[in-house]
Amino acid sequence: MRLCLLAGMLFSVVVLCMAGDAPVTALPGNDSQLSPRAALGKKIFFDQALSASGKVSCATCHNPADAYGPPNGQPVQYGGPDLKSPGFRAVPSLRYILNHVPAWNHVQATSPIEQLTETNEVPAGGYTWDGRFNSLHDQAMFPLLSPMEMDNRSVVELAKKLSSAGYAEDFRAAFGKDIFDRPAQAVEKATEALQAFEMEDRSFQPYSSKFDDWLDGKAQLTAQELRGKKLFDDPDSGNCASCHLDELGANGAHPLFTDFQFEAVGVPRNNAIPWNRNPHYYDLGLCGPFRRDAAMNNKSWCGLFRTPSLRNTAARHVFFHNGRFHSLREVLVFYVERDTNPGKWYPTGPDGKVEKFNDLPPRNRSNVDTTDAPLDRRLGQRPVWNDQDIDDVLAFLKTLVDRDVGTRRETQAESGQSR
Amino acid sequence: MNEREIEKQVVDPLLRSIWAALFFTMFAILSLQAHASAGSGPQPAQPPIRHVFVIALENKNFSATFGPGSVAPYLAETLTAKGALLTQYYGTGHNSLDNYIAMMGGQANNQQTSADCSKFADFHQTGTAPDGQVVGEGCVYPPSVKTLANQLMAAGLTWKGYMEDMGNDPARESSTCGHPRVNSADLTEEAEGPSADVPLGDMYATRHDPFMYFHSVIDLPACKQDVVNLRQLKTDLASIATTPDFSFITPNLCNDGHDSPCANGAPGGLKSINTFLEQWVPKIMDSPAYKKDGLIIITFDEGGDGKIEKTATGADVTIYGASCCNQQEGPNLGKSYPIVQRRISGRGLITVKTLSFGGDRTGALLLSPFIQPGTVSNVPYNHYSLLKSLEVIFGIHEYLGYAGQTGLTPFGSDIFTGH
Repeated sequence: MRLCLLAGMLFSVVVLCMAGDAPVTALPGNDSQLSPRAALGKKIFFDQALSASGKVSCATCHNPADAYGPPNGQPVQYGGPDLKSPGFRAVPSLRYILNHVPAWNHVQATSPIEQLTETNEVPAGGYTWDGRFNSLHDQAMFPLLSPMEMDNRSVVELAKKLSSAGYAEDFRAAFGKDIFDRPAQAVEKATEALQAFEMEDRSFQPYSSKFDDWLDGKAQLTAQELRGKKLFDDPDSGNCASCHLDELGANGAHPLFTDFQFEAVGVPRNNAIPWNRNPHYYDLGLCGPFRRDAAMNNKSWCGLFRTPSLRNTAARHVFFHNGRFHSLREVLVFYVERDTNPGKWYPTGPDGKVEKFNDLPPRNRSNVDTTDAPLDRRLGQRPVWNDQDIDDVLAFLKTLVDRDVGTRRETQAESGQSR
Repeated sequence: MNEREIEKQVVDPLLRSIWAALFFTMFAILSLQAHASAGSGPQPAQPPIRHVFVIALENKNFSATFGPGSVAPYLAETLTAKGALLTQYYGTGHNSLDNYIAMMGGQANNQQTSADCSKFADFHQTGTAPDGQVVGEGCVYPPSVKTLANQLMAAGLTWKGYMEDMGNDPARESSTCGHPRVNSADLTEEAEGPSADVPLGDMYATRHDPFMYFHSVIDLPACKQDVVNLRQLKTDLASIATTPDFSFITPNLCNDGHDSPCANGAPGGLKSINTFLEQWVPKIMDSPAYKKDGLIIITFDEGGDGKIEKTATGADVTIYGASCCNQQEGPNLGKSYPIVQRRISGRGLITVKTLSFGGDRTGALLLSPFIQPGTVSNVPYNHYSLLKSLEVIFGIHEYLGYAGQTGLTPFGSDIFTGH
């Protein structure tokens, strides 16, 4: 199988991508259930002609068959005119969260004493890894125009492509006959249509995993999966559920496995990202380089990224914002051994000391969470999980994979396909 | 229930009722003309109040709220000029929840309620103690533990809790009688910013809704009619017939001053308190029920009195925990003061020294046709005094919990100066 060349992920949630011959597997829901605007957005989502290369669409990186996540294990995707421009961050899944992402906020207790004594004052919300977009249509504009992604050089250029698309008449019907006479407005409407598709189409939130069936009383978790959930929940053990919320809502809503808050976990630097060849380049999340509002002035937020949902994470091949890890097992081991055996994860500096949290400049490394279990351990201590525990947690996390994604994985495994 | 407990629950209240009846009979005979009473002792002459509105706000010192330069001038100046300022009103604990429980149930602080019950866990009772205190630990009191709401219903009177934002996000809490699933995490501990699914966000906090912590309320079908979203208040104020005898109003985490800034971007703190009161107090004061025989009580759960000293590694925080009115610690804290706790946070090493179990001085403001404008009372009161006062007003002479504490003074002629 030829390798896909993929458009880069610069700012994104809605990214593009996928070049060449491997067709995107499109599995969205029935168009008859969509509003006209959402149906139009669906066509835009899959339209490769909207990119400079002519080979990438939103669905290329956010492949429906991969839970609207990346179709491969590359830490970043490649875009631009010739698909050689690298993105900056790993592609997140679009499933489940889009309707629920709160606007970016940083709530504080008014009382100065409570600010010091209450434990949770981290910011939350906003789209993308750094939360800098408060609406999906604002976010969608960026990959369309980013030189690392779809690489449209102007709204005029993009509007022209839209006006010659097969759905141009639908576009005019929705937004007016002369909509393409106003390129900026046409592009704005295109992003609103994308938003409508992502919000309305049921394929973005199928709730078809074994875990969902279990919550509905339609399936049983195995003893191993239940052990894994217990370890996942235990605040003195994995403590995963403190951020990746996994309880039923008051109205029976199934959990999203994220609290939308920001966290610095100190993921090791990933030298496979081309930008990281520059030793002075750091991706600081809330502090930039892409975020340019007041958030970047809060130095205690440098290195914080938004907590992703863990739904379908067991089907991914690339983890964390910098795509440093390529197996979920490795991620779990990292969490429990980051501090007990840091030499396993970080390089040793010229002074012979392990450079913990080396994907942040030294001045920002104190922002990394070292207080919440299991990240509160010390060198040489026993990790909170042993191999069996990790097997159990993995078994639980696999129950979060949606039926369509799991089926595809199994089919690939049987046919010996690889990525 | 053993015989002693039955005797405690049936005979003691009866005796108290008899004594109370005698007391108030004598009082009626000996009552003095009401007058402005700054510095004078209470003169418990009861005006014929039949509609009470409690507005519960958050975490402010008396001096910050009512002192010179207050950023809540509508409260500190406009309303104070119209009503009675209680300069020596105290909260009964830190943090929030224990205060609300004291206001409506008379139960003292315990380890969990003092920490705001991040898990909405059942209270496991292991015994009883004097003054109707239940011994044990947990958050949601068993059905045998009553509230003012139960007393009102037993007396054939009506009540409602009006909770701003309740039900905005039904995955967090329902729109009536809204609380987390019992024995699960309380997701309302954090304010939720606006999102596509929840356009207004959700800043309802269960811990500021006292009724939710009593099975004697939440297990009743009536809870769904009586604990409702604040929106309902405007409708209910339209006539005397639709206005409950007792209304407990909790603004959201922004408008009660807890947060600043807020999840929806509003300023919060005293600024938002001021705006909220400007919006709602005139509505109440213009209502037929208030004009006829109303009383508005604007109070705060706890004070913010304390001291913060920055250190080389973080900060030393001293919480005074001052109290009045011979407040008792109760049977469940079991702490030896001062208490010193240390924790590491993003702000460094925080050492918190708590000197006592009280809630510090907040002040309170009362408005009523039975109060002369500009009244000031320097008589000490606390949340147990408030509960006892409400019981007296509604002719209930069975005082719950520490509202029945020997010698506790209810609101009297020092306040009701227009009667």
